[in-house]
Amino acid sequence: MASTKPTTKEILARAAGGAGTPLYNPQALAGIKAGFDAWRESSVRPADREAWAQAPATVLGSEIPRNMLYTPLDVAGLDYARHLGNSGQAPFTRGVHANMYRGRRFTRRQLAGYGGPEDTNQRIRFLLDHGATGISIIFDLPTIQMYDSDDAIAAGQVGMSGVAIDSVEDMDRLFADIALDQVTVSLVTHYPSNSALLFPMYLALAERRGIPWEALKGSIQNDVTLEEVVRSGPEYIPPRDCFRVQCDNMEFIRRNVPQWNFQTLNGYNLREFGTSAVTEMAVALANLVESMEELIGRGLTADDLGQRAAFFWSIGNDFFEEVARIRAVRRLYGRIMTQRFGVTNPRAAWMRCHVQTSGVSLTRSEPLNNVVRAGFHALAAVLGGAQSLHVDSYDEAYSVPTEEAALLSLRTQQIIETETGVCEVVDPLGGSFYLEALTNELEARILDELAEIERKGGYVAAVESGWLQTRIRDYFHRERERMEKGEIRVVGENAYQGETKLPEISVFEYPEGVEERMKARLGELRLRRDNAAVEAALKGLEDACRGGGNLLPASVQCARVLCSEGEMFKVFKRAFGLWRPPALW
Amino acid sequence: MERKIKVLLAKLGLDVHNRGVITVAKELRDAGMEVVYIGNALPEQIVAAASQEDPDLVGVSSLGGAHLSLGQMLIDQAKAAGLLPETVFMIGGVFSPADAQKLKALGFAGVFPPGSGREEIVGFVRQAVAA
Repeated sequence: MASTKPTTKEILARAAGGAGTPLYNPQALAGIKAGFDAWRESSVRPADREAWAQAPATVLGSEIPRNMLYTPLDVAGLDYARHLGNSGQAPFTRGVHANMYRGRRFTRRQLAGYGGPEDTNQRIRFLLDHGATGISIIFDLPTIQMYDSDDAIAAGQVGMSGVAIDSVEDMDRLFADIALDQVTVSLVTHYPSNSALLFPMYLALAERRGIPWEALKGSIQNDVTLEEVVRSGPEYIPPRDCFRVQCDNMEFIRRNVPQWNFQTLNGYNLREFGTSAVTEMAVALANLVESMEELIGRGLTADDLGQRAAFFWSIGNDFFEEVARIRAVRRLYGRIMTQRFGVTNPRAAWMRCHVQTSGVSLTRSEPLNNVVRAGFHALAAVLGGAQSLHVDSYDEAYSVPTEEAALLSLRTQQIIETETGVCEVVDPLGGSFYLEALTNELEARILDELAEIERKGGYVAAVESGWLQTRIRDYFHRERERMEKGEIRVVGENAYQGETKLPEISVFEYPEGVEERMKARLGELRLRRDNAAVEAALKGLEDACRGGGNLLPASVQCARVLCSEGEMFKVFKRAFGLWRPPALW
Repeated sequence: MERKIKVLLAKLGLDVHNRGVITVAKELRDAGMEVVYIGNALPEQIVAAASQEDPDLVGVSSLGGAHLSLGQMLIDQAKAAGLLPETVFMIGGVFSPADAQKLKALGFAGVFPPGSGREEIVGFVRQAVAA
């Protein structure tokens, strides 16, 4: 259903203030222009003149054309105070803090997740022992899709590509000997639904350990995009209910777990599925805008919310585009929060982000090449000013990372921050004619696409109608064709393919017996627990789902009394019904 | 008139990633084949669908690590249902070269790791079905 409400783009345009102070002196610009035109005629080959603006052909790129050379003429209207500001100063283009990495390095937050909770606990400690500064947990497919380890649908898949968690007791094992009030933990609960089932287990765990919720620091994903758009699964709840759960998570966490980031807007998975640099950010912002409206309606303030909103971006191959887009979205988010939502606390206008290097941009052939690719991705993330980073490992196209590969990813981060010197200067590429022009271009395109989504009725409507799914599908079909035609070239795949047989890399091996162990534990837990309390709690959850209030308190109660995730998801399905997503096929 | 090759595609188990299988579905259809895609399915559901649809080839996609565990179940159940050896089985997804060999040994005639191209896959289907 089309919308006639003003778009964010229109609102921001109205808010743009009066005359500013252009950086470049008009006389200087006139002189540069005359010189540039003459140079183009005398020193630039006709072929280059004709093909002046060309788009790099890259995996996940936006296809924005780039000039052969950038000059002040390309950013003639640049106004330092209005468009850049110093770091830590509106509009925050140059960074959310004045001192950025001099004050605090980006968090080295590498993912861990495989087998049972005690297996992943080992990998967490390994990473921490080797200098990781944050924890990030990825769950196995049954846990992500919200089925218990002993559900028939989970057979053969328990503990693969993530850690199996069925109850609060598994959470306890996962974080054995880890002080939850001393670390920051990213629980990669992708969906609103699994966030509402798994995060309560984390909260119940904190209670068991006598840790007040106010002391907990970390984040969850909690994004409708992940549950409804970019995943393939057997069962979905409807988008509007999913959005309600997303907002319930945000509201409950904002009010009760004040240091926790209640959402890390996606971002990464959307782009990896197959969209451009621009669409990734437009969709995340569309979700943000709609969530803000909903939560403000529930009595939270924009200042409240902005302080704990966070983002999860991918970083791909087009080096300068990746740096520019982080800056672009940082400025745009700041403008949206101040000019559209009227925040007065500057912290509420900071675009804080965790970034993961693109997995889809890595190859199976010659896997060590991926170390180089991921290195460039990571550098772009740092030059863009990300707060937290995960570097994909070179065995991405083989399996969950081996210890060796995970360590190398961590070392990549450490080498950048220790040896290259790039962290000593804030926003080192700021002021580059190219980078500022590209930052402007990306911001404009993201805003245009955000307006497109809003005109279609907003984010949830775009998901329900299938518009978003179609856009993604069209992008990845087109990218495939471009790769096939050789327009997009990838070393070792369709460019510089080698015949030499390189040594095999070692591949991760899953621990044995995980499924049996998890099933046995769950069976034993079901016998041991107070099943009357379980039944009452599940009934409470169903009432909360069907009622209009926030369902999180009921979910936390379920976690406390040892309900399993699968049991809780069944309640969701009963209460909300199932939805058939628009087919990509 | 030549009968169209019929292919049944599925996501194996609970794997969330479907970009690859959607891409393959389109490429096979563009190559003139009839494609039925059933989404996420357990081995028994795939076998049931195949028994009903009677495809020439069954293709499954697995990026979640369960290719051997579920792959084995699928082949065993396909044999029990009498689908093999007439029906060709292929699998695509993320797995090591060693596991790719094991999948072939299990009975997947076509095994497609990341980077597999359109011509490769379409060509395989045509040749495997003709055989």
